[in-house]
Amino acid sequence: MAWQCLYMIDPEAFDPAAHVAAVAPAVGLRLSPERQARVAAALALVVRVAAPALAFPVPEGAEPAARFRP
Amino acid sequence: MSAVEEALARIAAHDGQVNAFTDVLAERARRAPAKGPLAGMPFAAKNLFDIAGIPTRAGSKIRRTAPPATADATLVARLEAAGAVCVGALNMDEFAYGFTTENSHDGPCRNPHDLTRIAGGSSGGSAACVAAGMVPASLGTDTNGSIRVPASLCGVWGLKPTYGRLPRTGATLFVAALDHVGPFARDVGTLAAVYDVLQGPDAADPAQIDMPVDLVAAGMNGGLSDLRIATLGGWFDGPQTRAARNAVAAVGRVLNARATVEWAEAEAVRAAAFLITSSEGAGFRLPELRTRLEEFEPLTQDRLLAGALLPAAWIFHAQRVRAMAQASMAALLADWDILIAPATPTPATPIGQDMLTMEGVTMPLRPSMGLYTQPISAIGLPVLTVPLQNAENGLPIGVQLIGRPWGEAALFRAARVLEQAGLCAAAVAPAFAASDAPAFAASGAPAFAR
Repeated sequence: MAWQCLYMIDPEAFDPAAHVAAVAPAVGLRLSPERQARVAAALALVVRVAAPALAFPVPEGAEPAARFRP
Repeated sequence: MSAVEEALARIAAHDGQVNAFTDVLAERARRAPAKGPLAGMPFAAKNLFDIAGIPTRAGSKIRRTAPPATADATLVARLEAAGAVCVGALNMDEFAYGFTTENSHDGPCRNPHDLTRIAGGSSGGSAACVAAGMVPASLGTDTNGSIRVPASLCGVWGLKPTYGRLPRTGATLFVAALDHVGPFARDVGTLAAVYDVLQGPDAADPAQIDMPVDLVAAGMNGGLSDLRIATLGGWFDGPQTRAARNAVAAVGRVLNARATVEWAEAEAVRAAAFLITSSEGAGFRLPELRTRLEEFEPLTQDRLLAGALLPAAWIFHAQRVRAMAQASMAALLADWDILIAPATPTPATPIGQDMLTMEGVTMPLRPSMGLYTQPISAIGLPVLTVPLQNAENGLPIGVQLIGRPWGEAALFRAARVLEQAGLCAAAVAPAFAASDAPAFAASGAPAFAR
């Protein structure tokens, strides 16, 4: 089984401020510059806490659905 | 005086200090028929459970003007069908997003052991009302630790059953992939009696898993003879106070847990749960985040917005990490029936505190209260949180007993041993343990007859 060892994110390259500025309007969130800065800080915290998951290699066949019963 | 009238009197006398209740339902409680195995036992429910006649606000301002619920949530209805009496709804973190119940709309819920400190969250009112002797049992929910954290900080017993064991019908969801419902109580007998009447299928809940009812009260005195118990090390041996370490060690001694085992995926799956929570919790609220942002809890506005912007590929990856962690824990549990771990890294901290320093490591306090609970709920295992009093400066702390999927009965047996050994107990907090404190059920089968 092939393993996906690609990192989901490069913590050094990820720019929370740029991400917020680009994505917020796309999902209908109109944020003031002050709010954007605070959200970027919150996003940076999420990324810091989430890093061990995003760096964790998973096999290609790993099931993403916790439970699926058609 | 009946137990219900005693509870109403204590709520009137003491809730001004604790702020556990958002709604007191005296008229409804006095009308309840109260017949059945829990006849006359007062209880209260986190205000994300539907209670007919009042709006289900889930700790929010946005839902304050919602129409009253027209029916009770399944768990509320089951308790009342067994004779228990709902006396009110309880304070919580807004939409269950938090570990501290510092609710800006309803005011912070205060810890009955020290009113300057947090009760824990998000089911803070559910733990505090039991610790202050207002009711002997309550209902809460747990997505990442929201039963276990307040149970630990308020020093009461709390059960987060296996994911899918109890129906969530009529409860406001926060993160459907991770949401559990369960009870708090002041002794193991009451916790078992309540849990037993909560069980059973509910076709209205698509997340409930079709498992037979497994009653626990009758067998809770079965002892430890056939149980293999170990302590979780590795991630669970990370930063924590001396009180947390001492509590885990003391529980391990009584339960004869001689081995320490490691679960390598704990840190990764905790991080995965954090991602899933951020994304799904925000996704549920996106329409209101667009139009009513300023009405959300100030502590969570920016976190919710950040969650709404997370890339889908990260969440997809997080779910796969979760599946990997579930498989590795299943292998570990082939050798063990119960694993012991800290519930919180520290006893209750002061209201308003932002950062936490333990063993030389400084971290944001609010997300870190779930350091040791989050990996376990991420894979749905049952956990019974056991309370140790006077762990540090008069404050209690809890320890997690973690079971195999559907292994709640073994957890009750171990909890009963800890209670009978005198190590774990949830007496009314000293400041509220005056002579007017009702005894409710001291142990074993509850007796609340009017």
